[in-house]
Amino acid sequence: MTTTARHSGSRPATRVLVPALALLLALWAAVPLLWMLITAFKPGTAIRTSDVTLSFAPTLDNFRNLFLGGNRAGTFLLNSLLVTGVSTVIAVTLGCMAGYGLAHWVSRYRTDVAFWVLSTRMAPIAAVIVPLFVMFRSAGLVDTIPGLVLAHLSFNLPFAVWLMSAFFGRVPASVEEAALLDGCTKWRRFLTVSLPMARPGVVTTAVLCMVFSWNDYAFSSALSGPDTATLPQAAGALVTQSGIDWGLLCALGVVVAVPMLVAGLAVRRHLVTGLSLGAVTGE
Amino acid sequence: MSVGISKAPPATAVAPSPADRRPRRTRRRRPPRGLKTFEFAMMAPALTLLSVLSWIPFVILVAMSFAKVRTLGGVSLTFTGLDNWTAVLGDPAVWASWWRSLIYFVSIVALEMLLGLGAALVLHRLLRGRSLVLSIVLLPMFLAPVMVGLLGRFMLDSTIGLYAQLLQAAGLDADLLASPATALPVVASIDVWQWTPLVALILLAGLSSVPPSTLEAATVDGAGYFRTLVSITLPQMRPIILVALLVRSMDAIRYFDIVTATTNGGPADATKIIPLKLYEYAFRFNNQLGKAAVLGLTMLAFSIVLARLFLRFFGERTAGPTQGGDA
Repeated sequence: MTTTARHSGSRPATRVLVPALALLLALWAAVPLLWMLITAFKPGTAIRTSDVTLSFAPTLDNFRNLFLGGNRAGTFLLNSLLVTGVSTVIAVTLGCMAGYGLAHWVSRYRTDVAFWVLSTRMAPIAAVIVPLFVMFRSAGLVDTIPGLVLAHLSFNLPFAVWLMSAFFGRVPASVEEAALLDGCTKWRRFLTVSLPMARPGVVTTAVLCMVFSWNDYAFSSALSGPDTATLPQAAGALVTQSGIDWGLLCALGVVVAVPMLVAGLAVRRHLVTGLSLGAVTGE
Repeated sequence: MSVGISKAPPATAVAPSPADRRPRRTRRRRPPRGLKTFEFAMMAPALTLLSVLSWIPFVILVAMSFAKVRTLGGVSLTFTGLDNWTAVLGDPAVWASWWRSLIYFVSIVALEMLLGLGAALVLHRLLRGRSLVLSIVLLPMFLAPVMVGLLGRFMLDSTIGLYAQLLQAAGLDADLLASPATALPVVASIDVWQWTPLVALILLAGLSSVPPSTLEAATVDGAGYFRTLVSITLPQMRPIILVALLVRSMDAIRYFDIVTATTNGGPADATKIIPLKLYEYAFRFNNQLGKAAVLGLTMLAFSIVLARLFLRFFGERTAGPTQGGDA
């Protein structure tokens, strides 16, 4: 980025102002997260005081209460892992196949199918939950893991299809043609040529599906019960009439956040493509 | 730098373009079209599942909107004609909620676009540590929205909240989430905290795609920073700004976890946006699922318009010249 170098170097004021603003930006984003992290290790007495303090004896009590106390976070964690894992694997597998198909399909209905897929993904959650609730109620799927997996697929499958079709659309045509001339069947070409070339796309899609599923609160809270509650629901459940145990909540927040922050940053290079639904690429 | 999925398939193996113009004998067989193709077979499993998960709920939603729904002891629908529609459309509380939602959506999206642009401009000009700062700035996006809402409550808790105490030190001594006048702006700012990074990320990619040569020309012509920004950079970035705007708008309408976790519509309905009104109909009080369905359909119509815009825009983009090279 040589142009940037030339631009910022131009005036002394900019040389100070830009880093200062960047620091402000970083603080703005990070302070609540850091505060959550710190609070998670604070003993209750240090949390409930109105004096902001950073001197306290770090403790694992909050985490211990979360998992070993009556809070059953272990069960929630297992449910979360199960639902996120299964729905992500299904969404990415079917999404890769369908995305590839959509990227190469020659048909006048292609736009219509693409639009349908996109609008399924974009449907307001509240509008989807109500009929799903009724549907699951009559099919006996409320408060079951398969039901929750299906519910998460309702937003992750169209997302995976759409995004993978964008990623497969970028695999150079020459590579695809060469493979076919070599006598590959189309299926083999998909598996051995296109899929490996779109690997960053597959990983990005998988990570984003995982994040959406892991972080979902609306679907889980409407469609699951005591046996299938997930971690975000546990967060909701910590809010009671008698107040909130902030230490517990922050500990839970750390458990919910850390895996996603790590996974998200791991695919940062392709994040912009994933989150703009394939409309924008680049670093 | 920026590519779109188009209405026309990308020029890949199946593209019939150059071959079509050659004499009949020498060219390859016409590529198969439609339903009996490998491509369609690849889509079939996902599309089947997606049909079950979208068309059946849609039909149910439409049916529910014309019926009284009972869920106790098996689901049953009793047809009631337009009762739900007239009830919902005649309810001033619903209109108030739409109005509130509109204010909420417009203000969060506008704020996120402005702040996101500012952040992108700063990050673009940051020479050292850009990658690190960007990584930090992106973090809020990955936190579960319900946790973001609860974290916001924690930061703003009037007795122990870190931000509440800073505000109190600055003379703002009130429970911001508990007061009807401030609740909506505060909830909005929590959403802005979480989603501005997304806009910044997209716009940063857009900034990097503006060809350096045009900027150099402007500098040579003696244009200042803001002049260049307004008359060259921003117009060049128009397509990407639009992408950010549409993506953010569609998501802003989708999600409501932050509002649920912070105020759940209160105090005194000050933050009761449409999805929460829908929830109130559906799951609270006396299960008026039919009315909830009416609201659901109106929301759906809204988001379909946005998705249409997004897709049309995608098509136009690829038809036009692609911009810039890759980084």
